[in-house]
Amino acid sequence: MPRVTLETLPDYARFLIAAAESAPERFPIQRTVRLPGLELLAHLGPGVLADALGQAFIEVKDDRRDIRKCRIFIGHPGIAGMPEPASWGDAHFTEHSFARKLAEAGLRGHHFHDLDFWQVYDPERRAGVQLMRSADAFPPWEPGAPLRAFLHWEYAARGMRLTHAGTLGLGGEGVLLAGAGGAGKSGTVVAGLLNGLDSVGDDYVLIDLDGGVRARPLFSTLKQDPRGFARLGLEGRLGTGRPLNWQGKHVFHISEIAPRPVSASMDISALMVPHIGDSKTSSIEPMPRKDAIIALAPSGIAQMPGERESGFRFFSDLTRFLPCYRLSLGTHPDEIAGTIRDFLARAA
Amino acid sequence: MPLSNVYAIASKDIVFESFDGEAVVLDLSNGKYFGFSDSGSKVWQALSSGVGTEALIQSAAGTATIDAAAIETFIAQLVEFGLLAPSSATPLPSSDDLPAALAAASEPLNVSVHDDLADLIIVDPIHEVEEPLGWPAVKQVS
Repeated sequence: MPRVTLETLPDYARFLIAAAESAPERFPIQRTVRLPGLELLAHLGPGVLADALGQAFIEVKDDRRDIRKCRIFIGHPGIAGMPEPASWGDAHFTEHSFARKLAEAGLRGHHFHDLDFWQVYDPERRAGVQLMRSADAFPPWEPGAPLRAFLHWEYAARGMRLTHAGTLGLGGEGVLLAGAGGAGKSGTVVAGLLNGLDSVGDDYVLIDLDGGVRARPLFSTLKQDPRGFARLGLEGRLGTGRPLNWQGKHVFHISEIAPRPVSASMDISALMVPHIGDSKTSSIEPMPRKDAIIALAPSGIAQMPGERESGFRFFSDLTRFLPCYRLSLGTHPDEIAGTIRDFLARAA
Repeated sequence: MPLSNVYAIASKDIVFESFDGEAVVLDLSNGKYFGFSDSGSKVWQALSSGVGTEALIQSAAGTATIDAAAIETFIAQLVEFGLLAPSSATPLPSSDDLPAALAAASEPLNVSVHDDLADLIIVDPIHEVEEPLGWPAVKQVS
């Protein structure tokens, strides 16, 4: 079993990409995913990930912008020509030094040690490889937002950003909901959708700052823990027969509860940081930008490998663009949605 | 700890931005964020741009709450956090408007550390996660 060190990392990444590109016909399935400004062609085998590629995205129907194409090979040694994944050979590993070493060579990458799961990407050639020990040897969160790291690298190279935030809006204008897990983002998004508001995504949305702050949808999945699922009245609406995900959460799709088809974009007019309040009623109060960036940036940067400084700069610019508010969440989903609806109406 | 005549940003991993005059610093190497009070932001901006400590203390002389001891304590904190390091550069004079800016500040010198997710950036994500929660929930030391 080869072992990779910081010194050999760029060569190993290039080796993986070359191995996959040399024989694309050996991958049984080709699947095209159409996303904002991007046509992603995945080469892979059948299984959970292939299914996820068909279900987890909100695909673009009529995108007339500059469309770029990228190719991602999802491989394992069961596909001829793909090597056994190497292990990490350094005793000391930090995400930062790993990402920096690759970036110096013009590459991006991520390594999940327990599974020897590798993701490497060449943004200049728009080609990447996800190498696994076997077809199902991927981290349990991968099917919920498949190929998230590759999208992060590709869009970051173009000045956009996968952002760990939810969205709610009306008539094409909306707010970005930011904060660490458990702050109430997902419950707020679901409450809004169930009460007539729109969303272009929860958990991860694509943001660009070209002429304002605009959010675009990428992933269609929503999640709720069983308590939130019941509190929001989803048991009756969606049933409880589906298997829970790796976090013990219900997973469903935005189209199952959205009042209208998901729009191609949403103009963001405010940044809100929700938290569980101590009152029955919700309230929205101005918040210093310094506090808003500290709520927005850490989780988004920590969950996306590499591009750390560019992420900090991007989220800083985003925060300076927008008025920032603290959203204290009340106890009733319809009241929370009404508070945001009233805010949007006043802002319009 | 004796004060140096002048300080510099400790490494290229220390990056910062300003929001309505308030500074936020990120240490890229460990993922820690640092939020500064209004007076702390002014002092950070001065020190990180090479203003000498003596000039800084003189600029704060007219303020009610920022004395030399407070500045010394604050600088020691910034050095301990790995944000600043003593420098051999020639100290720069403070800007003409720094005394007024410090006098107008309403908060004492303060820097708060936000490291909830810092370990995610430096740990082996994989061996340190809570098994039932997975990444990005870091295993807590009991």
